[in-house]
Amino acid sequence: MAGPPPLLSPIPLEAPMSREKLVIALPKGRILKECMPLIRAAGIEPEPAFDDPDTRLLRFATNHAHIDIIRVRSFDVATFVAFGAAQLGIAGNDVLMEFNFPELYAPLDLDIGHCRLAVAEPVDLSRDDDPTRWSHVRVATKYPDITRRHFAARGVQAECIKLNGAMELAPALGLATRIVDLVSTGATLAANGLVEVERIADVSSRLVVNRTALKTRSQELTGWIDTFRQLTDT
Amino acid sequence: MTTLADKALLPTGLEDLVPPRAEIEGRAVEAAVGFVAANGYRRIKPPLIEFEETLLGGPGAATGPATFRVMDPLSQRMMGLRADMTIQAARIAATRLNGEPRPLRLAYAGQVLRVKGTQLRPRRQFTQAGIELIGTDTPAADAEVIMLAAGALEHLGIGGVSVDLSLPTLVPAVCRGLGLDDATTESLILALDHKDAGTVAALAGPHGALLGGLMEALGPAERAVAALAGLDLPAEAATLRDRLLAVLDCLNAQDPTLRLTVDPTESRGFEYHSGVAFTVFADGGRGELARGGRYRATLEPPAPLGIPATSGEPATGMTLSMDAITELLPEPPARPRVLVPAATDPALRRRLHGQGFVTLGALDGAADLKAEARRLGCDHVLEGDHPVAL
Repeated sequence: MAGPPPLLSPIPLEAPMSREKLVIALPKGRILKECMPLIRAAGIEPEPAFDDPDTRLLRFATNHAHIDIIRVRSFDVATFVAFGAAQLGIAGNDVLMEFNFPELYAPLDLDIGHCRLAVAEPVDLSRDDDPTRWSHVRVATKYPDITRRHFAARGVQAECIKLNGAMELAPALGLATRIVDLVSTGATLAANGLVEVERIADVSSRLVVNRTALKTRSQELTGWIDTFRQLTDT
Repeated sequence: MTTLADKALLPTGLEDLVPPRAEIEGRAVEAAVGFVAANGYRRIKPPLIEFEETLLGGPGAATGPATFRVMDPLSQRMMGLRADMTIQAARIAATRLNGEPRPLRLAYAGQVLRVKGTQLRPRRQFTQAGIELIGTDTPAADAEVIMLAAGALEHLGIGGVSVDLSLPTLVPAVCRGLGLDDATTESLILALDHKDAGTVAALAGPHGALLGGLMEALGPAERAVAALAGLDLPAEAATLRDRLLAVLDCLNAQDPTLRLTVDPTESRGFEYHSGVAFTVFADGGRGELARGGRYRATLEPPAPLGIPATSGEPATGMTLSMDAITELLPEPPARPRVLVPAATDPALRRRLHGQGFVTLGALDGAADLKAEARRLGCDHVLEGDHPVAL
């Protein structure tokens, strides 16, 4: 490979032959704030509406005529990229583990958005609970697949109740005895009388790439991966 | 209406092809088989269903989870519906055609069934067309099959073809060379398949630089070759890499314009492959259009974790996914259609066919032939012996 490309001119090595659209999918919310400095350092500047909290736009032009950014829910980043509707994206490995999409590559850990995926239960329950006697648990979660696999690996059948938020309410209201959710400081758990009993995985944000795009637009996409790798390494 | 809708509903992953898609697919299959036939590959036709133990023996073991099974009421043995035709070609080569001179070149086309579709292709019935080159183990043979896969697509009119080469047994060989245990090896294979850098780094420990380097040695062939050549691989893995480089040299020599990429750690979908494997993509396609690679045409079960098989003949082959290819093909130009009286002389009809017309007989004795022609989508009617445009 040639010497490192200058950080602020990320157009991959030799310019690709065609200027096909490149769509980058970014997750709304918490991670967006952490990943925008990286996107900007890579020389991609979205149009001003991107930073307007009242905008109804979902797709934004950038300073590169062929690059667009879409802003979607974190779970949908994986879906857009896996099906090739977007070629690049940023998603947590919690989302990648849940879907296990074969068409998605995660070649770079961006070292942002750190938290963990954990099992939590009411403080009272945790005091005299004996996990070795379980054969079945009921869990409220946004991650039914990971939860099922996690418990199945130790011979326990998990009945998952899929929720899209406010998991912490479930135990107190009798919806489920346990929850599986992202935990960063543990403050929300504590406020709801829950305690973390088991860590399933450490979570961070990954650069994700569509498999077909990486093969057919190899030059261009490996160029972007290299650019982000250099930014992450420094 | 409900009953009509009930009758129209098909099981998940199955579909009816109607004109013109069915015609495009049929034509494409014939063109593909014709192209490989012109290159010396002779057609075989194995049955749709056969005994489970032969279908799932040898390289077929990998297709076990994808295979539909039924009980044969006659022999009281389990039968499997083929999920892949390569296995059947390998069986035929090892049994009925074992006296034929090598290398043996076989071609096939037909339907396969899978229990479950993939993410990009949820369908469960596929049209395959492919070739197998059995009894030779040279880089030239690998290159011939790859050139034919790309050539068949170009022959069908698909542009922007690119071939991605991989070495599904490379990661197991590297892990063996480094003395890693089986559980770690299995997890690494999975993580490298997803190019999951975080997990690879965590699993590889002190070997992170080597395994990370392998994962990053992907992309356009020149870039990947430079990266691969710079890696200090254990002996067995280095041999595999050198074979890949030799195949790339053959391909470059034969067609310097062929777009090549390399992904040395890809192993998904190559469960029975033992050497250079490949996937073919094209611009505008959502997924892969063809795949293939080197394997052992054996009837013995494969060894786990990519330990090289020693029994059976060396073989390589490729399969075109005709369904995915058909989606990229344009509708062929429509032929002129002429409405003729039902009693028209067959010789006259043949003459019209020779001139490129499609003839439709007016069966219901329509009083107004021209109106009837319009209703049936014809652009000509027969007047006397001559088609007249409407």
